[in-house]
Amino acid sequence: MILDAMSAVLLLLGALSCVLGGLGLVRLPDLPSRMQAATKPQTLGLLLILAGTALRVELESAVTLLLVGLFQVITAPVIAQLLGRSAYRGGSVSPELLVVDELAGKMPEERSS
Amino acid sequence: MSARLPSVLWLTLVWVLLWGTFTPVSVVGGVLVAVLVTALFRLPPAIDRLPVRPLRLLTLLLFLLWDLVVSGAEVSWQVLRRGPRARGAIMAVPLISSSDLVVTVMANAISLSPGTMALQIDHAHDVWYVYALGPRDHAGVERARRRVVDMQRRVLAALGSPDEHAEAERLLGRMS
Repeated sequence: MILDAMSAVLLLLGALSCVLGGLGLVRLPDLPSRMQAATKPQTLGLLLILAGTALRVELESAVTLLLVGLFQVITAPVIAQLLGRSAYRGGSVSPELLVVDELAGKMPEERSS
Repeated sequence: MSARLPSVLWLTLVWVLLWGTFTPVSVVGGVLVAVLVTALFRLPPAIDRLPVRPLRLLTLLLFLLWDLVVSGAEVSWQVLRRGPRARGAIMAVPLISSSDLVVTVMANAISLSPGTMALQIDHAHDVWYVYALGPRDHAGVERARRRVVDMQRRVLAALGSPDEHAEAERLLGRMS
């Protein structure tokens, strides 16, 4: 009973976080800020939903859920960085949306890295 | 072979977890696949031996988890409160570590923490450029910059050399 309640709270919080992330994709003005919405509330939401689910399934399946969470946490930042960098290089980061841009003019020219 | 042992063990573990069953077949299958994968796709050896402090590492993990909660809330707040009027900043932050592994951990940690992500790492000048969502003025930018340095300090406390950790402390002291 208590387990059910905890699971329900976690699932609902996770869903709320995912909804807010989705809303951010629509409401925020440019690519880097949208990347924030796609990585932060989304990752948090997924972890909460996984935690909520883990409470209700057998141990063996719960361990697999742990793996899902781990990969999400490891891969999301990498993708965010790659996308952000390409966006900056491609000029889709609008300067008027930035308070400061200390990278302006310092982006190295094409270099394989 | 012995250098590949940790990755073989790790890959076997992932394999068994993916199958979700701990049986002789899944373990043997995992070992076979892991040996094959490590033989076919060799990674460059990680040359730097890092001092790992398990307790600090655990503290760091818990902090990151907490940071993710704060991060989710903070970004959601920006979405609801500012929406299309949200502003960001790209700031240059001193990069304290020279180890590739530590820098990778730092970049990952920064991208999980509130409203920030690493955009570009300039190893030659020991500077990295971090995007932050939320700052609306220069005081906000300085707060975000301080946060990034503080995160580096935490990572270095768990993984870095004592010198680099001391440097992070010094830098943080100068910024406050």
